[in-house]
Amino acid sequence: MSTLKITNLSKTYPNGVKALDNVNLELSNGMFGLLGPNGAGKSTLMRTLASLQEADTGTATLDDIDIFKQPGELRKVLGYLPQEFGVYPRITAEQLLNHIAVLKGITNKGERKDLVAYLLNKVNLYDIKNKHVKGFSGGMKQRVGIAQALIGNPKLIIVDEPTAGLDPGERNRFHNLLADVGEEVIVILSTHIVDDVRELCTKMAIMNLGQIVFQDTPQNAIDSINGKVYQKIVTRTDLEDYARKYSIISNKMVGGQPLIHVFSDEHPENGFEQVNPNLEDVFFSKINTANVLV
Amino acid sequence: MFKTFFFTEIKYTLKQPMVYIFLALFTLLVFGATASDNVMIGGSVGNVHRNSPYTLAIFTSILSIFGLLVATAFFNNAALRDHSNNFNEILFTTPLSKAGYFFGRFFGALILSTIPLLGIFLGSYIGTISAPAFGWIEAERFGEFSSEMFINNYFLFILPNMFFAGAIIFATANKWKSTVISFTGAFLIIIGYIISSTLMSDIDNETIAGLVDVFGINSYSLESKYYTAVERNTLSPGFNGILLTNRLIWTGVGILILIVSYTLHSFKEKNKKLKKQKASKAKKVVDFNLPELNLAFNGHTEWLHLKSFFKISFLSIVKSVTFKIMFLFSAILLVTDLFAGFEYYGLKSYPLTYKVIDSITDSTSLFLLIILVFFSGELIWRDRDSKINEVMDSSPHTSFISLAAKALSLIAATSILNVFFIICGVIYQLLNGYTRIELNVYLLDFFYTNLWAYVIFSGVMIMIQVLVNNKYIGYFVSILLIFVWSIMLSIFDVESAMLHLGEGPSLMYSDMNGFGPGLLGAFWFNLYWVLLSILALLLAGAVWNRGMLGSLKSRIVAANKQVPKNYKYITLSVFVVWAAVAGFVYYNTQILNPYDTSDEREQMAVDYETKYKKYEHVAMPKITDAKYFIDIYPYKRDAKIKAILKLTNETDVAIDSLHLSLSDFWETELNIPNAKLVHNDEELDYVIYQLEPALQPQQTIEVEVRSEHISLGFSNSRGNTSIINNGTFLNNMEVLPGLGYNPAGELSDKNDRKKHDLPPKDRMPALTKDSCKYHMANYLTDGRSDFINVETVISTAGDQTAIAPGSLLKQWTEDGRNYYHYKVDHPSQNFYSFISARFEKATRKWNNVDIEVYYDAKHPQNIEMMMDAVERSLEYYSTNFGPYYHKQCRIIEFPRYSTFAQAFPGTMPYSESIGFVIDLEGEDTDNNIVDEVIAHEMAHQWWAHQVIGAHMQGSTLMSESFSEYSALMTMKQLAETPMKMREFLKYNHNSYLRGRGQELEKELPLYKVENQGYIHYRKGSVVLYALQDYIGEDKVNQAMRDYLNEYKYKGAPYYSTSLDFLDHLEPQVPDSLQYLITDWFKEITLYDNRVKEANYKELDNGKYEVTMEINSHKIKADSLGNENRLAMNDWVDIGFFLDDDEEQLYQEKRVLINQDVMNFSFVLDTLPAKAAIDPRHLLIDRVYSDNIKTISEE
Repeated sequence: MSTLKITNLSKTYPNGVKALDNVNLELSNGMFGLLGPNGAGKSTLMRTLASLQEADTGTATLDDIDIFKQPGELRKVLGYLPQEFGVYPRITAEQLLNHIAVLKGITNKGERKDLVAYLLNKVNLYDIKNKHVKGFSGGMKQRVGIAQALIGNPKLIIVDEPTAGLDPGERNRFHNLLADVGEEVIVILSTHIVDDVRELCTKMAIMNLGQIVFQDTPQNAIDSINGKVYQKIVTRTDLEDYARKYSIISNKMVGGQPLIHVFSDEHPENGFEQVNPNLEDVFFSKINTANVLV
Repeated sequence: MFKTFFFTEIKYTLKQPMVYIFLALFTLLVFGATASDNVMIGGSVGNVHRNSPYTLAIFTSILSIFGLLVATAFFNNAALRDHSNNFNEILFTTPLSKAGYFFGRFFGALILSTIPLLGIFLGSYIGTISAPAFGWIEAERFGEFSSEMFINNYFLFILPNMFFAGAIIFATANKWKSTVISFTGAFLIIIGYIISSTLMSDIDNETIAGLVDVFGINSYSLESKYYTAVERNTLSPGFNGILLTNRLIWTGVGILILIVSYTLHSFKEKNKKLKKQKASKAKKVVDFNLPELNLAFNGHTEWLHLKSFFKISFLSIVKSVTFKIMFLFSAILLVTDLFAGFEYYGLKSYPLTYKVIDSITDSTSLFLLIILVFFSGELIWRDRDSKINEVMDSSPHTSFISLAAKALSLIAATSILNVFFIICGVIYQLLNGYTRIELNVYLLDFFYTNLWAYVIFSGVMIMIQVLVNNKYIGYFVSILLIFVWSIMLSIFDVESAMLHLGEGPSLMYSDMNGFGPGLLGAFWFNLYWVLLSILALLLAGAVWNRGMLGSLKSRIVAANKQVPKNYKYITLSVFVVWAAVAGFVYYNTQILNPYDTSDEREQMAVDYETKYKKYEHVAMPKITDAKYFIDIYPYKRDAKIKAILKLTNETDVAIDSLHLSLSDFWETELNIPNAKLVHNDEELDYVIYQLEPALQPQQTIEVEVRSEHISLGFSNSRGNTSIINNGTFLNNMEVLPGLGYNPAGELSDKNDRKKHDLPPKDRMPALTKDSCKYHMANYLTDGRSDFINVETVISTAGDQTAIAPGSLLKQWTEDGRNYYHYKVDHPSQNFYSFISARFEKATRKWNNVDIEVYYDAKHPQNIEMMMDAVERSLEYYSTNFGPYYHKQCRIIEFPRYSTFAQAFPGTMPYSESIGFVIDLEGEDTDNNIVDEVIAHEMAHQWWAHQVIGAHMQGSTLMSESFSEYSALMTMKQLAETPMKMREFLKYNHNSYLRGRGQELEKELPLYKVENQGYIHYRKGSVVLYALQDYIGEDKVNQAMRDYLNEYKYKGAPYYSTSLDFLDHLEPQVPDSLQYLITDWFKEITLYDNRVKEANYKELDNGKYEVTMEINSHKIKADSLGNENRLAMNDWVDIGFFLDDDEEQLYQEKRVLINQDVMNFSFVLDTLPAKAAIDPRHLLIDRVYSDNIKTISEE
């Protein structure tokens, strides 16, 4: 059982953006979902944990490895899929994975070969392993990225927006793949796709403006707002009006007209109907505390 | 529509900084070249103005090459801007006119791309105004500007070059939509230019070279090749001749390309090619099991990391388009260069391994450098560019390992290219039937030089990329380091190779002496640079940006925290080793073997002159006898010399002090009886001994001089090439101190002299008839000796032969060393050489003379022919001029560090690179330069060693011109047809006409020649050859023989002059031809002959009537090249050729030409192919090709 402990982590960029604001987290084995809108600081946190970036203050340890002081040690037990994953031109998937396997300390040639074959099969690329990766579609590249993050015996796997660009079938495959390994190691899945977290994660946190604004299990998250979310289809012209009167957490178009969700301890009447909240409502309720129209 | 695009293009670009940056660059470059002596483009020297039309045309044409960069930038931009901004889909769906868009953009870019090149005029103008104003350069070295200079250069070079380059680049950009391919297009143009320049080196290909050069650079240099200073200062390139033809051809090609490109151009998106999917093979059933993993992080893992990184980086280099292009280009250049052969006076040298290596270096080193610079950036930025950096950076490897693997992959890629080139070279050798392939030389040369250069550049370029942290700025810094840094160093007069990246003593492979004296130094310098390269990589590894880009400072802070202790220790210890090596190199190159920089040498020459010029005419005794005891230690590269010299006071005053100029190179000890050292200038090596009592007239003293040179360690450059392992070559002038003040040590360039406020210096005392002090001395020994006896005991290593002048009296071995005792058989010039090497010896006897050739075992091919040439020379010269006074003729091979042959009394050292390695086995080699050189040096045994001119103008006529003439006469005997001689002499005509264009001071008539090679060798040979044709060989020989007999072996008080020879010549010349002496010897005369018309008509009797119209002028030139056309009243040959190849001369006849235009008519039995005036090319004519015309039917 490994433990990742993040204490008082802060980072401010030279342009004044506070990407991490006193972040504290403690994680152990299992899938951990990190939700947050764009610009919330998720990727900064991921990169910091992947030893690619220094924090201004705070510490992060994985078991007895101090990530900032012993980045080399951390890298030996890390699997990382960054938000943007590209590949070398003129190199095949097999060559690339083999190279990374060498880097990850798999020194036995036979083991490496078996592992690469195994992973390629898992991500459904085995048949085209000798093709140049550059010619792959975005989804295929992403699958290579997933495969490489699983190489070695990582104790900590960080995947940043892994399902972007995957078709539904591939996404399922990926979920299964992660679920396979997720029980024995710490997996941090950063995403803005709520369903990813709902389907996979045992624990989750929501991040906004550099801060962890919520942390619990997905079920508890939903339970926490059960009975407090109401919806109504309104006209476009009335939208502003509703925004002033109610705590709107989201609005989206349904059949050409806005469907608004509001958060309220009591039934707001006025044609609103109560709905069973989903994780998306949790997400919006946590980040949209100012209740602005989004 | 055209207007809209045209002006938008211009307006858009004028708002960008690029055009102004380029303009500023060109302005600055030309300003520097105009206003400073330190920046050189092309070259304007001597009497040519720094802003002359010629100089400006050279600037313009050469800078056109750099203009390609400008053209690529603007045209590529014009073609691709919409694509790279992804604006194309919007723009091309609007209803715009294709022609308007295409040509609007093109011509907009064309106008724009010529703007930066206007900086050439701007820079030249500013330089002309400011250089005299600020006192950098005197006003007299600048001329007037004329509008023609700008207009002609713009329309002949700038516009057509930009148009042609633009057409290619615009077309490639439009077709392939890729910047890299556009650059390739630009590169192709450069290749065309380089191929043309290769062709240019052979005069038979000049015209083709002038036509195929896309820039017109070679066309212009062909047009202007015979320009004199005056012409360079007045003539702008004109709209005529081969230059115009060239411009029309290439503009035409440009238009064609543009039209083709326009028709192919389409607004539609290029269909992306879909590769056919290969029918999938039957799938193998594979079991996929997650293996049990045994992770390991130890030394072995690091090794695997290195291997894996290397493989990935190496593949990415060799699979990239850029690499393939560079590879292809360098291979094309190499093959072109190889197949051009190693030409020398129409002969080819054997394809020796070292020549092939030189060829490889010349044609490929630039490309290899480009590969190193380009891929250092590519490899460092590849992870980021491919967006895989975060994965790589977060994997458990050491940054140093990854950087080292990148450096290794660069080294491997360049090395593989090198090996490929070597294979090309070997194949070339084999194709030529040459089997002495020295694979070891190829490989050692690669190992000693190129390999380490790759290592050094890879490490340093990678460090630059890592430190600078921006790919393009990194490139910029790298290029700066390669090119600008050395210019900076030379401006600041720093010559230490330790500061020039990758420099060290240069190696030059010689068949005789292997890699030579620079090898030890090269080894240490390589070590020094390699350690620096490793240090650079270690440093780069520590601050390598893993993860987010940070400032250098933050990375250093992070490195401090994260770099493991042992990494620091390793870096520190490499630094310590490097510092120790640096110290050792410094000790060797600066302390053990100090050197003077060029500025220091210049200053020393100035000091020498200002301090000691006053002693120039102080009375000095003469050397009247010399005995040498010389010990050469070739393998230690030491030499010890003891000389016992008799000095005799031949003046009529008592001499109370002895002035001596010493040298840095030799440790000299002087033992002068009754003398006291009264002045010792160690800086300038000038010493004065006071003689007590003074040396009275006719009195003689015996002086003992001990000189030794001990080689220590290694030096900053190649080191001395006179005392070497195999092929030591010393002459007496360098081993002994010079007597008195030596005017040859003064600065000679007139502009340098002016810079240091020294008065103008005459190259030589004026020619005078009346006996004066300059008749007391000859030009070779300058009055320090006349004809003397010389005796030498010389020793060398046990496996070498040592040679000194004269007959070998005795030979013995002592302590494993060989000893030789030589003595000259006849008093000779005090001018001789001492040589030691491992020699083979070939001998032959001619009458009582021993002909001996000492040669290297690798070069036996031409020895017999050389001895034939010696024999022929002895035969002809002793018959026609007089007896030979030595008992031996020795030809001695020496290593190729110098390329000359030289005549000392009875001995003729001859460089291995001429003569010994030239292929004489082919056809047409019966009349060749190897024989010519031998015959020339042999002739010096009469002309220079028996009779020598006074120390004044005109004296080299009787040594060099006479020797050339004599050599030509031995060849003429062999020549089967008179046309053979024309073939040989064309090189001399060409060299003379080119030489006078490059004259720095003034051209003089032959009888006043001031040791000017193009006059005494080239013009001298042409004039004397023509003279014997006009008055008869025996008449010329008679004059020379009479002159020789009068002055043979006569020393002071009277050395003869060219006037004394002319006195003997005049009686031999018939009155009708007396004008030749004035025209050819006393004035500078050229001819402008041409056949204007040549027609024939068949007569009834089966004969042919051929008529020809001839135009003829005589041209007199002054010393700067101002010409004056005169009417002819001269005898000139006219004649016919039966064949097109001009081999069969027919019905030649000498006629008096006394009108500008004359018609001749002949009735001939056979119909000739061509008619000619001066068919055997006896007269000097700037355009000879119009002397011959194909005959056509009336």
